[in-house]
This record gives sequence, structure tokens and C-alpha cells, in this order.
Amino acid sequence: MTRITFITADGAETTVDATVGDSVMRVARDANVPGIAAECGGAKMCATCHVYVDEAWFDRVGAAPEDEQDMLEFAASEARETSRLSCQITLSPDLDGLVVHLPESQI
Amino acid sequence: MPLAPSDDQITIDALTWDPYPIYRRLRAEAPILRVNSIGRTILTKAADTRAVKDDPARFSSNDPTTPMARAFEAHTLMRKDGEAHMAERMAMAPTFSPKNLKTLWVPAYEKVLNDYLDRLPRDEVVDLFPALAGPLAARVLALILGLPGASDEDLQRWSQALIDGAGNFGYADEPFERVAKANKEMNALLEARVPQVKAAPDQTALSVMVNADRPIPMSQIVSNIKIAIGGGINEPRDALLTILFGLLTNPDQREALMESGEWNLAFEEGVRWVAPIQVSGRVALEDVEMRGVTIPKGDVVMTVQASANHDEELFDHPERFDVFRKKASHQSFGSGPHHCLGTHLARQTIGRIALPTIFERFPNMELVDPSKVVWKGFGFRGPLNLPVRLNG
Repeated sequence: MTRITFITADGAETTVDATVGDSVMRVARDANVPGIAAECGGAKMCATCHVYVDEAWFDRVGAAPEDEQDMLEFAASEARETSRLSCQITLSPDLDGLVVHLPESQI
Repeated sequence: MPLAPSDDQITIDALTWDPYPIYRRLRAEAPILRVNSIGRTILTKAADTRAVKDDPARFSSNDPTTPMARAFEAHTLMRKDGEAHMAERMAMAPTFSPKNLKTLWVPAYEKVLNDYLDRLPRDEVVDLFPALAGPLAARVLALILGLPGASDEDLQRWSQALIDGAGNFGYADEPFERVAKANKEMNALLEARVPQVKAAPDQTALSVMVNADRPIPMSQIVSNIKIAIGGGINEPRDALLTILFGLLTNPDQREALMESGEWNLAFEEGVRWVAPIQVSGRVALEDVEMRGVTIPKGDVVMTVQASANHDEELFDHPERFDVFRKKASHQSFGSGPHHCLGTHLARQTIGRIALPTIFERFPNMELVDPSKVVWKGFGFRGPLNLPVRLNG
């Protein structure tokens, strides 16, 4: 079991238990974490599961590959260096405790 | 659990001409309802329509009761699930990559838009449906699909024939005859184009599919192109006309956007307000319990995204066009595996190019008479006309 903490743009924190192998998007949707729309269901095509990976975790998660960066340009909230599509972050044991920040808007 | 209640009063005519008051009543009184006139169970609450679309394991897109296969002369990706659907979708997806949108299709759109605006008559009433929105959508689609030789008129005629054929639930002869003729013409055009895109590959949908390392079968390439023709004209056309109507009838909002430049707000609100695709069908693969009723295995459900977009739980005064309303997710592009492939294209072109360009070029544009604008459609919906004076 791993734990992920989601922090909304106005600072509200939600910590949920997650299963290794799941995507961060799936975890958020299953736990009804507000602020992840995930319209395309994880196909890297809609840019509505945008998150900012917490600085402390960014090295372990890694930067978005080029095609994901391209898609992030279509995200509703500004893309930054730490931006990822949460459907593309797969949970591994070393991501236990991961913290991600939610953008102001996904649409 | 009991089955959903059933209704004998709601007619196809009523759903075609004035569906929103019906949906408002159903959201309050019977959000899951068997409607006998259409032979389907309609879902009108946002949570339910989203849940069904996000659950392809229990709700299949393969509804064998529609005339779609006959109209398209193919079992298309719209009616497939899982890997079969994904293989066909991904075959076409590279054309719609963010990079191609930015470098190819947005610039192409900008040029076509300006050319088509140039030729509009200035000093008379002009109906923007036939004079702008229809041909613009057709020309841009021709460029993206890789069918530059197809005329705007042919593409619009083929598109309408496919739509009418796929919606021909009464199995009348005329729509099937018309779409058979259209299929013949489209097949001939594609047959001629394939060797050309093989000789000179580019990023158009036809070329990307034909020249893939492991191409999908030609029959599926053809049906994918037809799906794009069937859905790629009316949707951007109806979205543009709907948003223009919203802005022209709300001058305060239009002025505010001319100041702020936030035209994307008008785009999202317009497609929320009157979704160009109002409903989508799914088939229950097992008994599913939802909101206190059982949707039995084999039942065909219609998820009414038009109604989801007006769900009072998410939107205050949903019947109002209000670009500044509190943000909430609409479902006009669907969700799940069939999420609209043209979403970003539509946002980038209509939201960020067409609206600012049109209002910058014609800041005094006026709708001639809002009450003369006719709205129609149960499956697809939009204005049938939009008569304006460009120079006010």
C-alpha cells in the first residue's frame, strides 16, 4: 500500500491509500478527489488530469516526455516544469508518500 | 430492484424541437426513464451519464439496433469497444497530435477562416450557416483528412447523408438511397487519393493511416474517414453558430470578452449550453443497478449529455448562456475511451481563432431577429439558420 496526498489550489489536502501499479489519476478518481476531471479515462489525450508534482518528489517521478509536454500545453491551467498528466504517473513502491498539487482548473 | 419507469407520452418530435424542458422535468422526476417512442432508457443526470461512459466494461458502444452500420457500410469505431476500438482510433490519432494542431491545422484554419470571411457580402443580411459555418467546417476537414479535392458542397452533402442514414431508425428508403450514393462517391475519391498520399506522405488522416508501419485494414481506414466526415462538419458548424447566437443575444458578455480576450470561455459555455452531440447510446452488458433501479442486461441506454450539461447540481440557471458562470465540467466531448478526438482542435480553432477574428473584423455584427432562428435536433443539435448584418 502506498499513500498519495493531493493538495488543491486553495490548500486543502486529501491523503488516500493507493495500490502499486495504479495511475495517480485512477487513484484520484476512485477516491473522488475533486479537481481531476480525467475526461479521456487515461489515454493521454484530454489534458484534464493535470497535476503539479511537489518539488520534493519531482526527481523520483520524472519530467513529462515530449508528447506529454505537448499535450500539457492544452491544459486549462498553466503548465510548469513540474507538470504531469496524472494518468501517466504509475505508482511504484518508492512513490509511497507522493505529494501532488492540483491546478486551479482542469477545464 | 425495480426496472426504470416507462413513458408513453414523450415523442421524438418533442425531443427534436424542444428537448430541454423535458430533460429538466426528467432530472427532477425520473432521471432514469424508459422512453417507448425511442425504444431506449434515457439518463439525464450528469453523474449517471458520466458513470456510464466511464464504464465500458459494463456499457458497450456496440449497439446493434442502430442503422449506423448500414449507413456507413461498415462496423465503425464508434460502435466498437476495447482494443478493436483503440486500434482504429490510434491509427488516426497522430494527425490530431498537439504538434500537428499547432504547426499545421491552426494556421490552415486561420487562412480558410479569413478567406471565407473576405467573401461574405457586407451590405445585406447574410445567413452564417450556409455562408460561413458549414463551408468553413467542410474546408478545414478536407485539409485535415487529406481530401483537398472534395468540394465544400460535396463534403456537406456526404456528411448530412451519413447523419441521416445513421439516424434512419424508421428504416425509410430515401435516406439509405442517398447515403448509398454518397458512399459510392466517397469510395471513389478515397480510391483515387490513396496512391497520391502513398507517393507523398503528410500528416493528414488518410496519409497517416495509409502510411503507418502496420496499417489497419483499408476497409477500416475508409470507415474512419467516413466517421470523420459524418461528425467533423456538423459539430464545429453547430458549435460556432450556437456560440455566435449566445454572444449576439448577450451584448454585455460579448463586450466583456472583446475587452478581456477570454474567448475560450464563450467556447466552453456555448458547447455546454447546447451540446452539438446531445446523446450517445450504450448497451448494458449485465444488469446494472443505478439510482434505485435495475438497468437490465441488453437494455440500450441513451446518455443525454445535453441534459447533464444542464444539471442543476452543477450549473445555476443552466438555461442561461453565461460565459462567466462558475466553472464546472460539461460533457459535450464525452468521456472515457470514446472521448472526442477533435476536442483540442475545436478548442484551439473555434475558441481561440474564429471567435476573436470574427468579432474583431465585425465588431458591430447584429442578429437580424433572434426569434427567427430555428433550433432542431435530438441526436445532433444546433441552429438551422443565423441571419446577421455584419456591419450592424
